[in-house]
Amino acid sequence: MIAILTIARREFGSLFRTPVGWIVIALFLFLTGAVFVFGALSPGQLATLRPVFGTTTLMLVLVAPAVSMRLISEELRTGTYELLASSPITSLQIVLGKYLGALAFLIVMLLPTLIHAGALALVSEPNPDPGPIAAGYLSLFLFGCLCLALGTLASTLTDSQTLAFLGTMLTLVCWMLITNIAPQHVPPAIGAKLAAASYSIRIDDFARGTIDTRHVVFFLSISAGLLVAATSALESRRWR
Amino acid sequence: MIEVVDLHRWFGSVHAVRGAGFAIPAGQTVGLLGPNGAGKTTTLRMLTGILRPQRGTIRIAGTDALAHPVRARRHFGYLPESAPSYPEMPVRSFLRSRAGILGVPAGQRKNRVLKVMDECQLSSVAGRRIGQLSKGYRQRVALAASLLHDPQVLILDEPTNGLDPTQIREARSLIGDLAQNRTVLVSSHILPEIERTCQRVIIIGAGKVLADGTPQDLIQSAAQGGCIAECKGHVAAIGTALKQALPGCTLTTEPLEEGWWRCTVRWESDMNTPEAVGAALLAARCPVRLLRPEAVGLEEVFVRVLDAATGGEA
Repeated sequence: MIAILTIARREFGSLFRTPVGWIVIALFLFLTGAVFVFGALSPGQLATLRPVFGTTTLMLVLVAPAVSMRLISEELRTGTYELLASSPITSLQIVLGKYLGALAFLIVMLLPTLIHAGALALVSEPNPDPGPIAAGYLSLFLFGCLCLALGTLASTLTDSQTLAFLGTMLTLVCWMLITNIAPQHVPPAIGAKLAAASYSIRIDDFARGTIDTRHVVFFLSISAGLLVAATSALESRRWR
Repeated sequence: MIEVVDLHRWFGSVHAVRGAGFAIPAGQTVGLLGPNGAGKTTTLRMLTGILRPQRGTIRIAGTDALAHPVRARRHFGYLPESAPSYPEMPVRSFLRSRAGILGVPAGQRKNRVLKVMDECQLSSVAGRRIGQLSKGYRQRVALAASLLHDPQVLILDEPTNGLDPTQIREARSLIGDLAQNRTVLVSSHILPEIERTCQRVIIIGAGKVLADGTPQDLIQSAAQGGCIAECKGHVAAIGTALKQALPGCTLTTEPLEEGWWRCTVRWESDMNTPEAVGAALLAARCPVRLLRPEAVGLEEVFVRVLDAATGGEA
């Protein structure tokens, strides 16, 4: 556990030691702030953060791969992977450490957006319903978990950060298109199965204030599966 | 302390390590010598668990490194060839982070970091970012990182690679100090480096162990039967005399000034070659002004061992 936390701490710190981390946070906060001001603060509208959550989900499709692309790829490129691989730790500890570091960064990135909820409560009468806001944040966190797990897997497969970024982002975009648009153009039985694999439909449910444990299990189990795959991919490097 | 038996590693169809095997007792400093592509780094990567061998056994400090890789990795510190580190991190933070990964208990981490920084003379740059340091200092940082858990075994891959002569001397002295109470396996293709630092040399070529012994033993065995003579006369007559007196010898001649020749004679026999050469040349009435056993260094040993292994193609 100590090794996992040490790797996580180093990873978290390294995102702030380079301009990339600060730029990602600044852009993210600027865009979510703009969406909040122009989308949620319009007079006469319901006091809800739903437009912000919708846009933030789409932004995560871009931002999460940018955070995760360097996790293992950078170690492979610079040779520091040899330090980790020859240390008395398992590949699973390496993957979990890297993943938790990136997840901590994502949480730090999301935390300042809580100010939107506070601002909305200040200017709205009646006050916004806290249920959908809490559920919305939970959905962002769960979707972030999934995106970062996918990004971690991609970064174990290549030493190119660009490829890891593109691989993660394109997979998320294709996933969304296949599970949201394709169901309307295929037989209903197949369409229903495709729609059940959609992450965006589940995120919409959260934004309405519904916390469905099936949705929670969906995000957590897929994230766990991707991390297991990332561990296997990293371990297989010892055999290549 | 390190036991390697019949190690094999293929990369696709390339058989990079072909049955390498050696045993290193505790406290010995051993040099792994070989030309580029000989399989040195692959062997070290298998020892350190970065690569898994397809066949063979590795034991480190009595632990089967293939059955219990994590436990085995606690026993050694490893300095990879490129001395990698995180350039954006200050030296002290990097070492603290590595100490956590290497399993140094939280209460001892600060002291261990201070101790290795002192050992590797890094205290003056403790707060500086690694990326701002010279290559020599970065090498020391990587070496310090490999010492944090106070390992019994040190595995160093080309530790003086890319250093200037002053830095090489400093690195050599540092490795010498560290080897006082540890088992050290150091790979290099810089022969004088190995000759000065190591008590024992393992020459590896084409993925196999070609020679194994102390530098003195290897030099002595290579020098045996070799002799250099400077004599005057017709080169054909000199050749005939030597070939007749020492059947099966190999002779190379090099012209010197005013009819003098330098003859290098190698003869695999129990007889004293210089004495036999001297007698043969005098019998052929060739004046001799110099006669001595052939002095060889580790470099010559290295070339001969590789020549013998590749049939003279190396």
